[in-house]
Amino acid sequence: MERVFYMTNIESYNKIFMETFNVEESALHDLQYQGVKEWDSIGHMTLISDLEDTFDIEMETDDIVDFSGYEKGKEILKKYGVEI
Amino acid sequence: MMEHEEGFSLNGYELQKYQPNRYPFLMIDYVTEVVPGKSAKGYKNLSNNEWFFPKHFEGHPNMPGALQLEAMAQMLTVAITTLPGLKGFATHAMKHNVRFRKEIFPGERLYIESKVISWKRGVCRGIANGFTNGTLACEAEMWITIPKIFKKYLPDHGEQS
Repeated sequence: MERVFYMTNIESYNKIFMETFNVEESALHDLQYQGVKEWDSIGHMTLISDLEDTFDIEMETDDIVDFSGYEKGKEILKKYGVEI
Repeated sequence: MMEHEEGFSLNGYELQKYQPNRYPFLMIDYVTEVVPGKSAKGYKNLSNNEWFFPKHFEGHPNMPGALQLEAMAQMLTVAITTLPGLKGFATHAMKHNVRFRKEIFPGERLYIESKVISWKRGVCRGIANGFTNGTLACEAEMWITIPKIFKKYLPDHGEQS
């Protein structure tokens, strides 16, 4: 019988950041927009799209603009019912 | 009943309403079919009079790869700028993955088929294939943007990027 593993929200959230911006988990807490070269304009749009797809949400413009860091993102996702 | 996508063609003059590049950087001549937001197909004819052939290269003229990519990006752009309200908008390249398969010579026609994978918040992800004489000459996966729309969604409104 095949075993299916489900990721928790924090695991999914971290995975998206680590893969999109090529950073280690230990660097996530302080990660900010433009803080690493990968989190540039295209990186930002990739991040938002991946978060929307993963958590099945559609973010409003103001929230996309306010999504300026890893920790800030957790607060914003709460508005969409996603507890990280 | 099958649904039909609404496509139309654009001649060399009409396409300039949707593609802001001009000579010598307009790299498409005719759009045979565009379905706004979905796809655009067409071609670039390459005569001996192209400005780049005399120097790229003397004795062995062929179309620069960068311009093949530009032609594919311009065709993809038309698929976006034909959407309502976007006529005449300038696009910028963000990121491209390109593969060149063979050289393109004077007298040939570069036929391009582009397809929109996604269009969201001023960012288009798409693919294009370029053919000469019926076989693949170049292919690309591209991200192009309309900065005027795109920058509204950035934390710094695009000041640093």
